[in-house]
Amino acid sequence: MLPAYLLNKIIQQRGLNMSLNRDSLVALCLIMLSGGLMLASFEIREPDYGVLSPAAWPRLIIIILGVLSVIYLLQSIRMPKEAKDAAPRKSIGEFILYWRNVIAVFSIFALYLIVLPYLGMLIGNILFSFILLTVLGGWRAILMHLLVALGASGGMWLLFTYVLEVFLPRGSLTGL
Amino acid sequence: MDIFLEALLNIIDPVTLIYMVVGVGAGLMAGSIPGFTIAMAIVLTLPFTFSMPPAQGLATMISVLVGGLSGGLMSGILTGIPGTPSSVATTFDGFPMARAGEPGLALGIGVWSSFCGGIISAILLVLFAPQLAMVGLEFQPWDFFMLVMFALTVTASLAGEHLVKGLIAGAAGLLIRTVGEDDAVGVGRFDFGSDYLLTGFDFIAVLIGLFAFSQLLSDLRNPVTARNALSDRKQVKVKIEHRRAIGILLKNWVVVIRSALIGMFTGILPGAGGSIANILSYDQAKKAAKDDSKFGKGDPRGIIAPEASNNAVEGGALTPLMALGIPGDITAAIMLGALLMHDIVPGPTFIKDEPVLAYSIYIAFFLASFIMIGMQSGVLRVFVLVTRIKTYVLATVILTFATIGVFALHNSIEDIWTLFFFGILGFVMRQFGFPLAPMILGVVLGNIAELNLARALAIDADPMLFFVRPWSLFFAIVAVFSMIFPIYQKHRNTGSLLERLFSPLVLFSLSLPLFMMGGLLRTALAVAAIAISSTILWRRFGSQSKA
Repeated sequence: MLPAYLLNKIIQQRGLNMSLNRDSLVALCLIMLSGGLMLASFEIREPDYGVLSPAAWPRLIIIILGVLSVIYLLQSIRMPKEAKDAAPRKSIGEFILYWRNVIAVFSIFALYLIVLPYLGMLIGNILFSFILLTVLGGWRAILMHLLVALGASGGMWLLFTYVLEVFLPRGSLTGL
Repeated sequence: MDIFLEALLNIIDPVTLIYMVVGVGAGLMAGSIPGFTIAMAIVLTLPFTFSMPPAQGLATMISVLVGGLSGGLMSGILTGIPGTPSSVATTFDGFPMARAGEPGLALGIGVWSSFCGGIISAILLVLFAPQLAMVGLEFQPWDFFMLVMFALTVTASLAGEHLVKGLIAGAAGLLIRTVGEDDAVGVGRFDFGSDYLLTGFDFIAVLIGLFAFSQLLSDLRNPVTARNALSDRKQVKVKIEHRRAIGILLKNWVVVIRSALIGMFTGILPGAGGSIANILSYDQAKKAAKDDSKFGKGDPRGIIAPEASNNAVEGGALTPLMALGIPGDITAAIMLGALLMHDIVPGPTFIKDEPVLAYSIYIAFFLASFIMIGMQSGVLRVFVLVTRIKTYVLATVILTFATIGVFALHNSIEDIWTLFFFGILGFVMRQFGFPLAPMILGVVLGNIAELNLARALAIDADPMLFFVRPWSLFFAIVAVFSMIFPIYQKHRNTGSLLERLFSPLVLFSLSLPLFMMGGLLRTALAVAAIAISSTILWRRFGSQSKA
């Protein structure tokens, strides 16, 4: 990230005993987000009526968020070196291995949401829970995963459709 | 009397009773499983209550809450792992007592302490909420705006050393609520030309994503523990010893009442919940004991104190919600969400305007405590079965359940996308050490803050009124000191100037708005505050100069 790189350079050139860490990067992201949102707030239409402009409240929050993010950045830069070095750096492979379950849940859930209009909630949920169970729990208990997926998703579909009378989405491909 | 009867009929309706029993059972289970919090159980109940009448929906949620508050003790006592953060202290003496061959007694003491704590706080809720609402009638938009700011800063201050992160989370919560059409004039904000953003995020989907989805992801992060079950026990042959437990509670009635009062008071403070109350009351019980040598080894008082206090917290948290419309903790914030979902906006006139609903809440609170007592033994058996289910199976089922629940809110797939996005955001925030409570409070209270800001400026455009009106100034002062509090805590026992000045300065500053409010009682309180702060200052500085 360019701002993080430049800030690190400045710190190094001035010979300061500081370096950017994870918190500094988060703080920089927040500062940039505040800046972006402040710019976006100027796109908010100003009506001729009403006392408080629709942009006033968000701008006030953005200013507070920006100031807090700067404080957060300063705090993170001044953090003792030992605290910064506490978490060992990971390679991309190690990172994926460490977060594999979380990445799996995110990916499968995103995929589920994309196919939901085509498969419908009943089939979609059965498939989603079966795939997620198998990815998280392994292939050995595949039969149990299938039974849990059918029982839990099917049971909930019946509960919502017939007891709570909620119309759950049908798939354009499956009709279910 | 008619109102009471109408409310009673609302609650003892067979369908409502069934929902309450199911709710208490679900709460007991959720509370007993480490990693699945009470707030998560309540937030997941929320979509179900959408189609129910308000009284029925709230009774169901209160049942989940009461069950959840009591459920943590089962896991804590039997496995040594607290089911919820609000039952951490219960394990200090509950687990040793169970290991010493008295699990039935330990559970009995825990169950009855929870019951007593719940009942005491329900009585105090009935007594205090209307009184606080009368004070709340004095509040004008400036005061409400500052009250929301105070709620956010005090919640952020609970993050301790990470105060700035807490404040950032609170501000982010407020900002999330601004996305979409402005409530006052209907102008789109931060929609970037997208219809999805123009309609705004459904705040219940946001809450479920931030809290439940992110929690499930945290539970699943470790592939090894995700495949483990909480316990491999096949069965637990425990009979809850009710009679002996009641006898012990009667002997230690002072501990019960003191702990319930601590819980109630902690609950009233915005942001502070059961996780603080149980430790605080355990500590007080230990300090007050003539002989504290058995604490940590299975002392009954070590179970009574945390369990009575954590159940009393919710009576406290519901008090400012019902009286002022400001939730005392995350669970009360979700309750506020339930009320808003039914177009009921709580405030100082809530008890007067919606007396049947207010009484229904009181009655449900009492009744749920009784249902909880009746269900503990049965749920204990189910608990053993549930603890044998592997974490990833439980998490997947809950995630599927959350997905359908969120869809059911408005029959909208977009809400599931909201759940997904905020699940990621919540998870990332947890990983970076940002507390979620201020953000959730920001999301829930964002509209209330903006509405009152607009109302205040419509009445008078002078912004100084936020700092010169008595109640507004009062909340502003408390908000400022709540932000300084973590720094003060850091300097405790160091003899620093901040440590010596903090409490007298708080009292002295608060005396100013109290004087401005007028009236005999408040003037007397202001004089007392000045007298106490002067005495403290004299003791801390006067004695030194003499020496």
